Amino acid sequence: MKAGPYAEIPRVDAYEKVRGRAIYGTDNNPAGLAHGAFATATIGKGRITAMDLSEAQAVEGVRLIVTHEETESLQPARFIMQHGFAFQSYSPVLTPHVAYRGQPVALVVADTLQAAIEAASHIRVSYEEEPFTPALDSEGADPVPQAEAATAWPIEDIAVGDAEAAYAAAAVKVDATYTMSTQHQNPMELIGTVAAWEGEHLTVYEGTQNAGACKFGLAEQLGIPAENITVISPYIGGGFGQKNTTQSQLVLAAFAARELGRPVKVVVPRRQIFHDSSFRPATRQRVRLSADSTGRFTAALYEIDAQTSMHDFFQSEHADTAARHYGYGAFRSFARLVPTDTPTPGYMRAPFEHATAFAIESTVDELAYELGMDPVQIRLLNDTKIDIVSGLPHSSRHISTCLRRGAEMFGWDRRTPEPRSMVAENGDLIGMGVAIGLYVGAGGPNRASIRATRNGAIEISLGVHEMGQGIRTAVANVVARHLNVAPESVTAILGDTRGVPQMLTAGSWGSASSIPAAEAACEALREALDALGTNAPEGASPAEILALADRDELSVNAATFAPGQNKEALGEIDTGHVAPTGPVYPDFVTYSYAAHFVEVRVEPTTRRIRVPRVVSMLDCGRVLSPRTARSQAISGVVWGIGGALREAGEVDERYGGILNADIAEYLVPVNADIGSIEVGFIDEPDPLVNRSGVKGLGEVVLVGVAPAITNAVYHATGIRARHLPVRIEDLI
Amino acid sequence: MQPISYARPASLASAIATLAEAGPGTRVLAGGTTLYDLMKLDVERPERIVDINGLEELAAIDTSGDELIFGALARMSDVSADARLTSAFPALSEALWKAASQQLRNMASLGGNLLQRTRCAYFRHGEPFACNKRTPGSGCAAIEGLNRGHALFGGSDACIATYPGDFAVALVAFDAQIDIAGPDGERSIPFAELHRQPGDDPSNDTTLLPGEIIVRIRVPADPVGRASTYHKIRDRESFAFAVVSAAAAIRLEAGVVTDARLALGGVATVPWRAREAEQSLISKALTPETARAAGELAFADAVTRQHNAFKVELGANVVRDALLIASGRA
Ligand SMILES: Cc1cc2nc3c(=O)[nH]c(=O)nc-3n(C[C@H](O)[C@H](O)[C@H](O)COP(=O)(O)OP(=O)(O)OC[C@H]3O[C@@H](n4cnc5c(N)ncnc54)[C@H](O)[C@@H]3O)c2cc1C
Ligand code: SF4
Repeated sequence: MKAGPYAEIPRVDAYEKVRGRAIYGTDNNPAGLAHGAFATATIGKGRITAMDLSEAQAVEGVRLIVTHEETESLQPARFIMQHGFAFQSYSPVLTPHVAYRGQPVALVVADTLQAAIEAASHIRVSYEEEPFTPALDSEGADPVPQAEAATAWPIEDIAVGDAEAAYAAAAVKVDATYTMSTQHQNPMELIGTVAAWEGEHLTVYEGTQNAGACKFGLAEQLGIPAENITVISPYIGGGFGQKNTTQSQLVLAAFAARELGRPVKVVVPRRQIFHDSSFRPATRQRVRLSADSTGRFTAALYEIDAQTSMHDFFQSEHADTAARHYGYGAFRSFARLVPTDTPTPGYMRAPFEHATAFAIESTVDELAYELGMDPVQIRLLNDTKIDIVSGLPHSSRHISTCLRRGAEMFGWDRRTPEPRSMVAENGDLIGMGVAIGLYVGAGGPNRASIRATRNGAIEISLGVHEMGQGIRTAVANVVARHLNVAPESVTAILGDTRGVPQMLTAGSWGSASSIPAAEAACEALREALDALGTNAPEGASPAEILALADRDELSVNAATFAPGQNKEALGEIDTGHVAPTGPVYPDFVTYSYAAHFVEVRVEPTTRRIRVPRVVSMLDCGRVLSPRTARSQAISGVVWGIGGALREAGEVDERYGGILNADIAEYLVPVNADIGSIEVGFIDEPDPLVNRSGVKGLGEVVLVGVAPAITNAVYHATGIRARHLPVRIEDLI
Repeated sequence: MQPISYARPASLASAIATLAEAGPGTRVLAGGTTLYDLMKLDVERPERIVDINGLEELAAIDTSGDELIFGALARMSDVSADARLTSAFPALSEALWKAASQQLRNMASLGGNLLQRTRCAYFRHGEPFACNKRTPGSGCAAIEGLNRGHALFGGSDACIATYPGDFAVALVAFDAQIDIAGPDGERSIPFAELHRQPGDDPSNDTTLLPGEIIVRIRVPADPVGRASTYHKIRDRESFAFAVVSAAAAIRLEAGVVTDARLALGGVATVPWRAREAEQSLISKALTPETARAAGELAFADAVTRQHNAFKVELGANVVRDALLIASGRA
């Protein structure tokens, strides 16, 4: 077998996708399909006192209206962070309660989608209203110290050394507060379910990052055995953490389909997705950072207020990453959760790290200016080989190499340090900024089963989902190398509960958990082929060996888990739960890293900000599929530009909910916003974290882009942006 | 389900006759990019639709004469690409191609473009928001609400919704005329009289009478159009409505301004002509200072709200830059 960097191969499902042949969850239209649409709450909080369905029922084609009065047999969903399967513990339509504006209050099912939508608009609801607290900054939104929040996996504040004393005694210091609006994932593929019963058996087609949770969560809510449920999700049209658990519509679609004896499709419209699914919580972060006169960080004090819902504690892991940005002399964190009358926020791509990097990397930039130091130099100076929190070594930490190579690729040496010192010919102010990002190097258990046939086909089933990140291509590339076959001969069965148990694909652990299992399966297959005793020549393909042995096919299974885990972790994924581990393993600590270099141009009069150029250098361990990895990296930079300059949920406190709840008003970047994006990879396998040497990529790519932009804006204008997104008015 | 009747007349006369019979609850359909959008949002609930896409006489573009003539059905993309327009009236062309997206511009007609409705979220998104434009008498959620996008000019206690279109802003700067056909025959009005400020009746955006349709737009082929621009500042570089925009045109003789045109977008309830600011430039040289002073004058009477006050400073600079870009083409 070859070693070293992987060859670049085309995306294996590209043709399927561009020709529209890839069938996504709600593309399925089983015979007899009925369509569902939600009626939604118009109040900020309260109770339903009466519902008048008469006008809705009169709409031609309406077959069923599901309200809280019909759903008593259904169990409420359980929150994933309480060892459940759902993005929140609150289950709209299963209760007369209204927890936030825009939540579903009834599901109308009709012969056509049009009839369902029309009827839903005719449902009249009477409410008893209650006061509500819709946003982080609302009056009455009171922070709860996270250490006191009762959760299944408690997270303590971090204290390393006496940070308060070191900060007080320091020569140079910065004390700054950073805020961020909510952000909302807007994958092209909407959230939705097609539920079809055949006797006692339910088949669910759904774009999900977690077919296992759909299966086991649904079984729990419906009160049926999990083996009666199949979940099929071969492609996802973008998940970004929003599809990582079960959503409100799943159990209701399954329930309605059972009641009607017909398959039911429910696609949640864009506006409702803004109101009844997870999102990136608003945050308020304060950083106090001090250094000695040489620029060595003596202390960091990190405080965060992070939005959560009234019904769940969505835990903040912001401080864990903050503590790993640098080798601070001392570190202290204080995390508080702020309950609001909203859905439970969730794991939007780089859920904590994006916000944390904005605060930490902006403060570092401010401190560099205080010290008169180069922003790259101060970062190199404060790099560390040891994790200050655990005292363990980092398994691989190439952030200094990322900074050096990135700086060279970008041409950082052309930067003059003074703010407003670089001006383009047309008068635009030029700014250059740098920031680093990191993301936990998680791992987890996975099962694999692989089948080789005499005609040359290799079929592999893994517990991972293809959501556009390119895992199917990575699997093909890895299997092709390990079995000495062409990537085209490899078929990967993913996101399908008919194969091996499906674990949540998120947290950038998709490759790190499934690829080691794929390698183990290849190895087991090799051993099984050898055991056939054919004396095949070295390097023979499985098909050649099978031919020599006169066998049609051969199948084997394998299972792997991360360092420090044992078979119990497999038990978790076998029952639809998550079992990730890391970044702190028994003997080492693992993170992925990014260094981003950004050039901005700011129009001196109108203050329009443009981002003509970004260079990102990434350390994600071994790169399994160069082409799809590059796509991931570019997409992360685009996300960062959106996060820094465009995206914000707007809340009118009198009404609750989100006012700009569509993609005409909630702005994500368009092509015209994006200039040149160059990415590079260190491509050094991590020696310890798993047999494949692979760390995560999909999230770290975004971490640090936003502060690199705001640092560049400061360099261009002399104005420090401490709120995201940065809008024109912030620079006027 | 609400039934909708649909008619596709083949001539202007039969369209007018169909509309005359139809009465209220009838909507004209051109590209449908506004109408269908608002129907999906439940803001428009027409009972009858009269599709005018069969009226070929409304689709013509003629920019060869003393007047530029645009049929109401001419598509935004076709008009923006017209060669005479791009050279003789860049502001008109730019106002079109900086609007919406290519897909929308391929569908959307000029008539429909002029009649697009406000982007005020409280208007578009129905219950539970109070909105006098959508539900007369219910109040205005924007005045005390999130009003970053709302008007600094032409508002009332009943409504401060911004007129969102771009092309109309450029048209108002060039003294365009609108030809209208209705049950009582054809009439022609200055373009500036098409849109009405909300006053105490925000529900009605225009002065069109029931059963009337826009037939064509005429723009005097004034040489002032040559040195012109439509400068649009938005929250992203494409596919976004104006935060502030300015249509500007300049005529210079012997180094001084002899004619100036200035209209503002994204900041007023109707396409907003800034005549005083235009006048202030006459007989002066156009410099960054005089241009900026004209911008300040254009925003002198702005009535700001909690979230849109920054547009006074931004607007003055947008006007400044627009005037300088325009004069650079003189
Ligand atoms: C996502 C999005 C972004 C957009 N961005 C921009 C932008 O940046 N700038 C901008 O200027 N516009 C923008 N638009 C608006 C777009 O330009 C308009 O929707 C379009 O021009 C309307 O033209 P239409 O032919 O599709 O009108 P239709 O939807 O067919 O009609 C609109 C209205 O005009 C009436 N009508 C149409 N033609 C006539 C006529 N001849 N006589 C009488 N009444 C008539 C209809 O009854 C209807 O009430 C955007 C639209 C969308 C959806
Ligand atoms: S500004 Fe006008 S359109 Fe907007 S809410 Fe007020 S009345 Fe309605």
